[in-house]
Amino acid sequence: MATAPQPLLSPELLARLERLELVSRKIFRGRMKGDRRSPRKGQSIEFADFRQYVPGDDLRFLDWNLYARLDRLFLKMFLEEEDLHLFLVVDASRSMNFGTPTKLEYAKQLAAALGFIGLVRSDRVKVEVLGAPAASQAPAFRGRASLWRLLDHLAAIEPTGETDLTEGMKHFCLRNPGQGIVILLSDLLDKRGFEDGLRYLAARPVDAYVIQVLSAEELDPPLTGDLMLVDSEDGDKADVTVSAHLLKRYRKTLDTFLSSARDYCHRRGMTYLLATNQVPCDTLITGYLRSRGLVR
Amino acid sequence: MQWSNPLTWWQWSVLATVPPAIVLLYFLRLRRAPQEVPSTYLWLKSIEDLHVNSLWQRLRRSLLLFLQLLLVGLLALALLGPSWRASTLHGGRYVFLIDTSASMAATDVSPTRLDEAKRRVAALIDEMDSGDVAMIVSFADQARVEQPFTDNHYELERRLKAIEQTSHRTSIVEALNVAAGLAGATRTGIDADPGNGERPAAQPRAQMFIFSDGKFADAPKATLAGVEPILQTVTGDEPRNVAITQFDARRQENARDAWQVFARLENFSVAPLPVQLELYVDDELADAQQVNVAVDKPTGVAFDLPDTETARLELRAKTGDHLAVDDRAWAVIDPPRRAKVVVVSKTPNEPLEFALSTESGQQLAETTYQSAAWLETPDYRSTAAAGQFDLCIFDRCQPPEMPQANTLFLGALPPETTGWKVEAVADVPQIIDTDRAHPLMQLLELGDVLVREATPLVPPPGGTVLMHSSAGPLLAIAPRQSYEDAVLAFPIFDDAQVPTNWPLRLSFPLFVLNALEYLGGRGLDVASRETIRPGDAVVLEQVRTAREIDVKNPLSKQVRVDRADAARPKYDATDQLGVYEVLADGKLAERFSVNLFDSAESDIRPRAQAAVKLGQAEIQEGQATGVSRRYAWKYLLLVTLVVLLGEWYTYHRRVSW
Repeated sequence: MATAPQPLLSPELLARLERLELVSRKIFRGRMKGDRRSPRKGQSIEFADFRQYVPGDDLRFLDWNLYARLDRLFLKMFLEEEDLHLFLVVDASRSMNFGTPTKLEYAKQLAAALGFIGLVRSDRVKVEVLGAPAASQAPAFRGRASLWRLLDHLAAIEPTGETDLTEGMKHFCLRNPGQGIVILLSDLLDKRGFEDGLRYLAARPVDAYVIQVLSAEELDPPLTGDLMLVDSEDGDKADVTVSAHLLKRYRKTLDTFLSSARDYCHRRGMTYLLATNQVPCDTLITGYLRSRGLVR
Repeated sequence: MQWSNPLTWWQWSVLATVPPAIVLLYFLRLRRAPQEVPSTYLWLKSIEDLHVNSLWQRLRRSLLLFLQLLLVGLLALALLGPSWRASTLHGGRYVFLIDTSASMAATDVSPTRLDEAKRRVAALIDEMDSGDVAMIVSFADQARVEQPFTDNHYELERRLKAIEQTSHRTSIVEALNVAAGLAGATRTGIDADPGNGERPAAQPRAQMFIFSDGKFADAPKATLAGVEPILQTVTGDEPRNVAITQFDARRQENARDAWQVFARLENFSVAPLPVQLELYVDDELADAQQVNVAVDKPTGVAFDLPDTETARLELRAKTGDHLAVDDRAWAVIDPPRRAKVVVVSKTPNEPLEFALSTESGQQLAETTYQSAAWLETPDYRSTAAAGQFDLCIFDRCQPPEMPQANTLFLGALPPETTGWKVEAVADVPQIIDTDRAHPLMQLLELGDVLVREATPLVPPPGGTVLMHSSAGPLLAIAPRQSYEDAVLAFPIFDDAQVPTNWPLRLSFPLFVLNALEYLGGRGLDVASRETIRPGDAVVLEQVRTAREIDVKNPLSKQVRVDRADAARPKYDATDQLGVYEVLADGKLAERFSVNLFDSAESDIRPRAQAAVKLGQAEIQEGQATGVSRRYAWKYLLLVTLVVLLGEWYTYHRRVSW
């Protein structure tokens, strides 16, 4: 259920998030200088190594002291510090528009918080909406000053129709061939299955996180009686008489579904996390995500 | 099954619209409320396998509908008033007479005739309307009111179940009188005179159901006022029974040192039956015989036994018939006990004392001698009244009152009260004949006996003359209560003259021995003990002087005998068949056996005549019940209630899926 819009990040949360930084388990090449170590040797103040001078090298990095002692030219190499690419992929399908707060609100809040951490650490933060056309996708944000643009962009995301997770991930991967951290925020409730979509992610040299957002109503449905359940995305109908027996079966099916998602992610080196909309955002980030190693 | 139709056509039409209305309402109700969910993905997966058996699921889904339709159907069925023909009792007051005699133990009706009778009575009790009262009386040779009039069905059935089989004979008269007496009386104390002078309302005649196998004699003298007898015979189709109707042990006539055991078998069936007889002596198999017993022809069987002082005999007949109680019989051989004899003589009687002092005489009796003067003392009165002697011999003297014992008068008469008389004195009477069949006269040869003079006897009614002479009876014997008095019309010995030469003859000591055996030992020998049947009272003669008398029955249960009648202690709890042991002051003193030995009871075939004469009326086999209708609506409403509960449960627990 949609609720009245509220600020995605409260000042208290921002203050707490400011101390955190995103951690990548892999070191990726960035595009611009940032705060992170790069596999490339660059121009930071931290010494890395020497190498033989070859013509064309920047003379500023020649070690003149060594040249004086050994009469040979060596080039000083420094660790390069670069930025990190953080992709926040938000599923904005209509199925995300349920719960209090809605799963989409929750996902946006989460994306804002993680994006903020990235921006603070001078990482490139890109928000992608699953299934949305390329034209409507936001550009990459960088720097603390971009926070408000990021937040505006997130706030503007509205639930839209049916989302094909597979198609969405495919397009995302085609559009963003680079490396970095990809955080998928979705409920994974796709009748075609989530496996194909996640496979695209697994094939990429990225540090992938899958945060499955479910509402409390999905985990423990407050339904009874004879009902005609209508699918919010495709309008599919299911006649059910909700009894204790059926609820028991539903919970069993849900457990199977969640464990299959978790196992799928683990087997492919992705980090899986289940988040319900009842867990406050800061608890999730400072608690769960920290324990999973995404932030520190 | 019949139907009554209490509703008119338009009422039925209204009722007929109810089921379609329910179906309609059900489908209306089934318009499911749409509920938007994020995704039906998980729900569809959950109900996926439930759809495999979709017909059943659909049925289960419609359980409430079915229950509601069933409810209406049952109500409509109840309204149709289904009923069926059923038997019922009519009358309001009933007496159930149940025969518990030995023949009711026959198994030609499964499990037994008595159980079948009880089952039928229970069925009748079930058919009694509320407010009806009934009484249960069981009878064999005696009637017993098991339950006075009550309308409490539970109590009636409880008492009915408690009725037990007996081994007694059948006598219905007492039961009829008891039943008629109680049925004619006012029903309860509440019904009695209410105290305002109004007479209580006249009681309706009670119906008296007699459940018996019909093995009882007609009872024309029975009073049947206030009851209407209905005979219910409980017999099987082809009853088979071979019974032991006599079992006895006697010393062999020609060899006194051996015993002969007799048994009589009777066949109350339609065909001859082979029977295997087994004789057990002290519970060990001693002999066996195979006998074929013809129908209605008593068959005698004899076994020879070596001499024995004491033995417990049991005869078992393996018959495979329908009545087991008469397939076993018992007898006991006890050591002969010395009779207590007192001789009261006017003057010492030498020949008599000599005859009594022989070896045989001493074995048979323990004799004391008294003079005639003793008869006047209080000692005589007390001992005579207490019955401490088995035989009193009065030699030429007459007691003031007869003792509680057998007597032998020699040359004297009993007191006039006994009815003995004499004729005028006759000189030299010639002995013509003796009754050799009588135990007292056995083996006596009196042809050479001469008598000087005698006063021929006139015995009282019931007396038997044992010695006839030309002048009249010289020796006679007559019963007195349970005793016998023998009187010899001439003295044996006299101080003044020789009245007879009999003491000099061999027959005299033999006569004395016979007298000791017969008069002194009556009741001591197994052969002389009368047959004791279940329920009979037994006079414990031999232990009358004991301080404490106990009787151990065949089930080894020991009972103290009440010494209310000091002279003749009696024991009457002889319900069990078998051997009873009498303990005098803790020591085994006597044994006796109780046997059925009743051809009438053993004859378990149906009565020859269908009608029984009870009182003035001839009673035919009666129809117990009238015809009535039983309506089913109560049961249908009960089922409806159950269905309603089921519906309520289903609705609240949502037992669908």
